[in-house]
Amino acid sequence: MSQNGMTVRPQPPMPTNKDDIVGTWNYLEWGVERIMLSLKEGVDLKTYMSLYTSIHNFCTAQKAVGQQPQNNLNSNHRGAHLLGEDLYHRLNEYLKRHLTSVHEELVKHSDEALLTFYIKEWKRYTTAGMYNQHLFRYLNRHWVKREVDEGKKDIYDIYTLHLVRWKEDMFGSTQNAVMDAVLRLVEKQRNGETIEQSKIKDVVDSFVSLGIDDSDSSKSTLDVYRQYFEKPFLEATSKYYVAESQQFLAENSVVDYMKKAEERLDQEKERVGIYLKEEIMQPLMKTCEQALIAKHAVILRDEFQVLLDNDREEDMARMYKLLARIPEGLDPLRTRFEAHVRRAGLLAVEKLAGQGENLDPKSYVDALLEVHTQYAALVKTAFTGESEFVRSLDNACREYVNRNKVCEKNTTRSPELLAKHADNVLKRSTKATEEDDMEKILNEVMTIFKYIEDKDVFQKFYSKTLAKRLVNGTSSSMDAETSMISKLKDASGFEYTNKLQRMFQDMQTSKDLNIAYSDWRDGNLEKEDRKDEIDAFYQILGTGFWPLTPPTTPFIPPTAIVKTYERFQNFYNAKHGGRKLTWLWHLCKGEIRANYIKQGRVPYTFQVSTHQMAIMLMFNDSDTVQYDDIAETTKLEKATLDPSIGIMIKAKILTSNPDGAVPQSGTSFSLNHGFKHKKVKVNLNVQIKSEQKQEAEETHKTIEEDRKMLMQSAIVRIMKSRKQMKHAQLVGETIQQIKSRFSPKIPDIKKCIDILLEKEYLERLDNDELGYLA
Amino acid sequence: MAAADVPMVVLQSSDESIFSVEQKIAERSMLIKNMIEDLGTPGDEPIPIMNVTETVLRKVLDWCDHHKNDPPPTTEDDADSRKKTTDIEDWDQKYMQVDQEMLFEIILAANYMDIKALLDVGCKTVANMIKGKSPEEIRKTFNIQNDFTPEEEDQIRRENEWAEDR
Repeated sequence: MSQNGMTVRPQPPMPTNKDDIVGTWNYLEWGVERIMLSLKEGVDLKTYMSLYTSIHNFCTAQKAVGQQPQNNLNSNHRGAHLLGEDLYHRLNEYLKRHLTSVHEELVKHSDEALLTFYIKEWKRYTTAGMYNQHLFRYLNRHWVKREVDEGKKDIYDIYTLHLVRWKEDMFGSTQNAVMDAVLRLVEKQRNGETIEQSKIKDVVDSFVSLGIDDSDSSKSTLDVYRQYFEKPFLEATSKYYVAESQQFLAENSVVDYMKKAEERLDQEKERVGIYLKEEIMQPLMKTCEQALIAKHAVILRDEFQVLLDNDREEDMARMYKLLARIPEGLDPLRTRFEAHVRRAGLLAVEKLAGQGENLDPKSYVDALLEVHTQYAALVKTAFTGESEFVRSLDNACREYVNRNKVCEKNTTRSPELLAKHADNVLKRSTKATEEDDMEKILNEVMTIFKYIEDKDVFQKFYSKTLAKRLVNGTSSSMDAETSMISKLKDASGFEYTNKLQRMFQDMQTSKDLNIAYSDWRDGNLEKEDRKDEIDAFYQILGTGFWPLTPPTTPFIPPTAIVKTYERFQNFYNAKHGGRKLTWLWHLCKGEIRANYIKQGRVPYTFQVSTHQMAIMLMFNDSDTVQYDDIAETTKLEKATLDPSIGIMIKAKILTSNPDGAVPQSGTSFSLNHGFKHKKVKVNLNVQIKSEQKQEAEETHKTIEEDRKMLMQSAIVRIMKSRKQMKHAQLVGETIQQIKSRFSPKIPDIKKCIDILLEKEYLERLDNDELGYLA
Repeated sequence: MAAADVPMVVLQSSDESIFSVEQKIAERSMLIKNMIEDLGTPGDEPIPIMNVTETVLRKVLDWCDHHKNDPPPTTEDDADSRKKTTDIEDWDQKYMQVDQEMLFEIILAANYMDIKALLDVGCKTVANMIKGKSPEEIRKTFNIQNDFTPEEEDQIRRENEWAEDR
């Protein structure tokens, strides 16, 4: 470059007189200018050392002591007098002059050329500043240090002085033009052009260096950079993306826009690493997110429904990632998602609702599951399994599982159907379920179970069906049974499965007892005594744990089995005195071999209930028996007797007279000697339809009773610990305690409180308070 | 013995004596260190140490050699602890057993060449010479003429009364 119109001056001699300020400065100015303007040509060792030595010599001259005798006492607090002020101020003046001429040159340029010029001058100036910092080190160490120590403002070490001068004499009047050029460059790059990125980095570094902390000049602040670089940079960024995104959205689809926005955000992030200061990352991202996402959040969210409807998983993931970047960006998505899942669940159930009472439990559970599975997968893949979306999914599932078309009339249908489905799965059936499949199906049952609100209803039905599977020995696998119970225990606690586990224990105890009984017979009975013995298996079931109802009808067991069961009864009573055995004849069963008809050479075997056994054994004495005789002998009530006979007629084991007559007084029945069946074993012990329905109704009734008990015991428990409580507060706490079992209704709780008031467990106090009566 | 690959520099005293020393030793002087940083290694070209004579420079370089492995001086702050004590390590005490004129020459050279630790040791040595002496004794030690008027002396005494041992 040119010498800015300055001529190269000849080297003046090194000053010989130590306290000659004119000579010293004359020499120094020559040196400083050489360093400032033609450093490239180099400074030789000798010059460097001479410059340093001149400054040292000037500052150590003795003249001050002689010149200011009158100050001797007043300046005592300063200790020795330090020289150098003159040099400092002359350097300061020189820098001012220098920068004025640089500035004159700079304004002749514009745009990128101006930027180039600024950077070039800045680099040259600061390099010279570093040299001067070293050359003037003696001044820094003594005079400057003293001034600064004494709290003088506006005195800086020599390098900082360079920066201060630049800031005041160059920066103030040029930063606007410099920033304009920078911003135009960045815009060009955003438009896809290639730019010289290092220039921007240089400007950033320059602006950062100019942040001089006024209270401590050895420290730097980012104030200048923040105000003059970061702020306009962010403003330009915002403006650029607001305009671009608006235009892009007007011409393209939302899905394409999301890709574009994602790309832009990545680019800006990358830009920081390349030539910006790391500190700008957060505000820059915020600015971009505001312009690219927040400003269009409504349009994006509206698109979400479309994406949901069309299962556009990838696009939903993209939208999730974008909206997750802005505050509260996802809340509306979650709301929509929840509503959508609920609708899907309700719709799936509605398709089945036409089947009414005969709704297949499996189809129902499958329908519930399918929706859950689909959207659980979506949450995992598109929404990164984020916990708030999981919550929305759970909310939606809880809604459609508990309040759908099928549950419309009967709110406990869901747990009932789920328990029935579990029963069908766990029951031995023709299609054997593989162990792995079994575990999978049970887990699926648990998935729905989690959402069931009336967990007590499920418990009721489940224990009912479990009892039946155990008593009838129809479980497909004991491992599966225990696995299911431990799952329920994990989900709802020990108390929830306590009775179920006790049922298993009873089964084991019964097994042991039968073995003991068999041993006892072997050791104690004479051969003669055992002639008429019947092979039998006894199950002893604890009354409190099994959901079994006592017989609804009187019954006289057939004489053929009396001796056998009485012997067992005696054995048991001898072993466990004080326990009461009740025979549940309606649950007992047996096998009868029919010697009067054979399939080939093998006689048929009938599997029958004890009731049927009693009826059938009457035909040992006569081929035709009167209805009234049967009723008289068995003492069975009509409601049980008629269907029991009915099954045998239907199976064509008996024929009624007159032909086709229903079982009633006056009808008689005969053995059908022409009976034929493709299997040797014929099962006649099928549950009677009316019994099934009745049982379900009874179960529901006991649920109501149990709920009342549960609520009352909860209320008493709470009041016992609190002694005194507001009515409303008590209701609230009761709901809290019970909600894991079912959702209690407030009027029901109030009713329970009234009952407890009546029973004098509680009393009314003033102020709507209730008190506990011990 | 200096191996061939140990970087060396050449120093030239004011009376044009030449010293070839390890760069590491010479760089105890911040003046030389900064200069090398700015201009690069000078190689064989002698560095003129304009204000220091041969005898003094030799003495200063002795010190630098002995202290060449000291940790480099950190920022100004570390001075605080050293300022407060007049303790001087044994080697330095022996090193400073020179006549008064030499002592002051060392101090001036350390100040010029910017060797802070040496400057400190020199000043401490002087301080120890003053310690426990009366003004008269001090004047005698350093051959100082009393140029105070009696009034001035009185005023100073009053101002500094608080510092007197009592």
